[in-house]
Amino acid sequence: MADAFTAKTFLVIDDFADMRAAIKGILVSLGVAHIDQARNGSEAIAKMQQNHYDVILCDYNLGPGKDGQQVLEEARHRQLIGVDCIFIMITAENTREMVMGAVEYAPDSYLSKPFTKDLLQTRLAKLFERKAHLTVVNQALLAKDISAAIRALDLLISKKPRNLGELLKLKSEICIDSNRLDEAATTLEQVLAIREMPWARLGIGKIQFMRKHFDQALETFRQLIEQDSNFIGAYDWLAKTQTAQRHFAEAEETLRTAVRLSPRGIRRQHALGDLALNNGHPEIAETAYEHAVGLSKHSVLNHPSMFAGLAKSKSANAKHDEALKVTGQINKVFPDQQEAAFYAASTSAIIKTRQGDATGAAAALAEAEDVLARLNETVHSSEHALEMAKTYAGLGQTDKAAEMLRQTIANNHDDDEILTQIVHLCQESGLQYDAETAIREVQRDLVKTNNEGVRLIKQGEFEAAIRLLSQAADEMPGNKTISLNAAKAIIMYMERQGITNDNLQRVRHYIDRVQTLAPDDWRLGDVIARLRKLTTKG
Amino acid sequence: MDSMDFSDILASSIHDIKNSLGLILTNLEDLIGNPENHIANPRQASLLQHEARRANSNLIQLLTLYKLGHEQLSMRVTANNLDDFLEEVVAENHSVCRALELELGYHCEPDLEGYFDLELVRSVLDSTIGNARRYARSRIELSAAQEDGFLVIRVEDDGGGFPPALIGLLEYQPGEFAEATNPGRTQLGLYFATRIAQLHHNGDTVGRIHLVNSHHLTGGCFELCLP
Repeated sequence: MADAFTAKTFLVIDDFADMRAAIKGILVSLGVAHIDQARNGSEAIAKMQQNHYDVILCDYNLGPGKDGQQVLEEARHRQLIGVDCIFIMITAENTREMVMGAVEYAPDSYLSKPFTKDLLQTRLAKLFERKAHLTVVNQALLAKDISAAIRALDLLISKKPRNLGELLKLKSEICIDSNRLDEAATTLEQVLAIREMPWARLGIGKIQFMRKHFDQALETFRQLIEQDSNFIGAYDWLAKTQTAQRHFAEAEETLRTAVRLSPRGIRRQHALGDLALNNGHPEIAETAYEHAVGLSKHSVLNHPSMFAGLAKSKSANAKHDEALKVTGQINKVFPDQQEAAFYAASTSAIIKTRQGDATGAAAALAEAEDVLARLNETVHSSEHALEMAKTYAGLGQTDKAAEMLRQTIANNHDDDEILTQIVHLCQESGLQYDAETAIREVQRDLVKTNNEGVRLIKQGEFEAAIRLLSQAADEMPGNKTISLNAAKAIIMYMERQGITNDNLQRVRHYIDRVQTLAPDDWRLGDVIARLRKLTTKG
Repeated sequence: MDSMDFSDILASSIHDIKNSLGLILTNLEDLIGNPENHIANPRQASLLQHEARRANSNLIQLLTLYKLGHEQLSMRVTANNLDDFLEEVVAENHSVCRALELELGYHCEPDLEGYFDLELVRSVLDSTIGNARRYARSRIELSAAQEDGFLVIRVEDDGGGFPPALIGLLEYQPGEFAEATNPGRTQLGLYFATRIAQLHHNGDTVGRIHLVNSHHLTGGCFELCLP
């Protein structure tokens, strides 16, 4: 038993020296040799950047600055800790309600103060068992080698160990994130065959959503909520599904219920703000953004778009002066960030238009255009493009708004979430732009190009396929799918005909482009792995 | 201060007292656990620990009831493995029981799972074990089993058993058992356990507690039935 503890590295995070000393005392008596300490969230994050920890014991209440949940969020979000790390949240009786509803970033375990040495020892032994042998999996995940991670997990699962449940859960999550939906579904069915588990049922719903079986997904999430009206994750996904079906009012209603149950989720409040503002409910939007901005003060999830939303909803509620104060805050909260300057300018343009200050609005719009041009060299990120389109629409410049939307559709023809946002924007802003038709046309053209490329590849006419796809990729540099398909065609050609430097460079160019646009795109992993295999073999 | 209710003042004071008790408990454990310390009568130290833990679990109950009264208590029902859970509860109470020369054990099927709020049920069991310590002669036993659609968690001791007035199904309201007052088995503990049991429901079935004597061991047996 002692050995399991001696080899592990620990980080203890608490703002009280006495408490840190007490926990350290317990750990030393359990045989732990390597114990680091941190007094607050920033110190903890700095330590995690420098060292690898097996176990992190973090008090929820850390005084001013980040709280324990925000430490966990940032650590996971920035991948400072992996799936093999054990994160234990230490809570007091009065923090019980605050830590609830943490869906995306839940700790591995909670421990309420005061706890005894015996309890910590028993708990840690259990967690070590649960996380056993996950280091290999974590390494593969860090290298973005999803297939290797799944192979490693399958090997562990085949031995039917005591932590089988944990392994199946992890495997289903990895499969869902990498869009291996069939494998994810099989894994979840395996769990559900033994017992009905809400997390597994939620996973089934996510898969139905990703397969665009929205009616089924809706039913799954509704049933989960019926069984447990406090299951926050089900509300978030229900709202996503309703949004995808373009039932925006219902989606807003769902999120309103969810924030009543669990008001501390930043993403949830942000999503509610966006929906409510577009649905013409600026009061509800203002409250939601107010929460989001307040909660994210010390959070890694803080973003200028939440301030922009708050300012716009205040202005929609005819509080223009307060709104301008919020836009003034943006550059202070995010100093020297081009993106923040862009949101500050675009939002000011809208507010000043509503105030009747045409000169001020024109100046702000010019600044927004200027910053945006510097911000993204070849392609605008879809968030920025939509923000700019909204601004044009708000200032009555409908032609520019329509052109912005046309580009955004062309660059994201297969991203339903963005397309839905565009439709919602056109519906509510009264913009005379037929988004639905534009989407159908772009999709039809792109599907045609794509199918033609696939047909050429199947017939072995690689050079023609590459020519076709490269041309399309150069015409639509922001379209990730086309870039990835062009890269894949060249890789397949090299697999048969051998590697040339020229072709290698073209592939890397397309991959880099997608990586800049969307570093988390699940398709990147496969293409990179295939390229790696090709280059190491040759 | 005008807007502050007296119960709010009480609640925030209880938090403060609880924090102090927490530090006392942690240091006490260090003191007793360190073999270099020589205490003339080790039993005294253990009694201190026993009473401090009882005070702590009473405070937790008060705070929980306060929140319940103000509709601030939210439930977190999770699927829990009973073998793991009881092992933890026993581990946490083990040292005090050992010091009082009581054996504390548990048994249940290794795969038994139940749906309940871990922390709330833990505080019910902690306080029940705390009471059982005063009555047990040599042994306290925890167990869990699935019976008639309920998960039944039992805490038994080999003492003299519950007084007849308390035996049976409890649908407890404060003050109802005033005449059966017994300084050890406080009303607070039973009231708390009943409320926590009632917070657990599955469809129309609601949780409850039961008191019997001589179930497996000779003394009192507390049963928490969760749907």
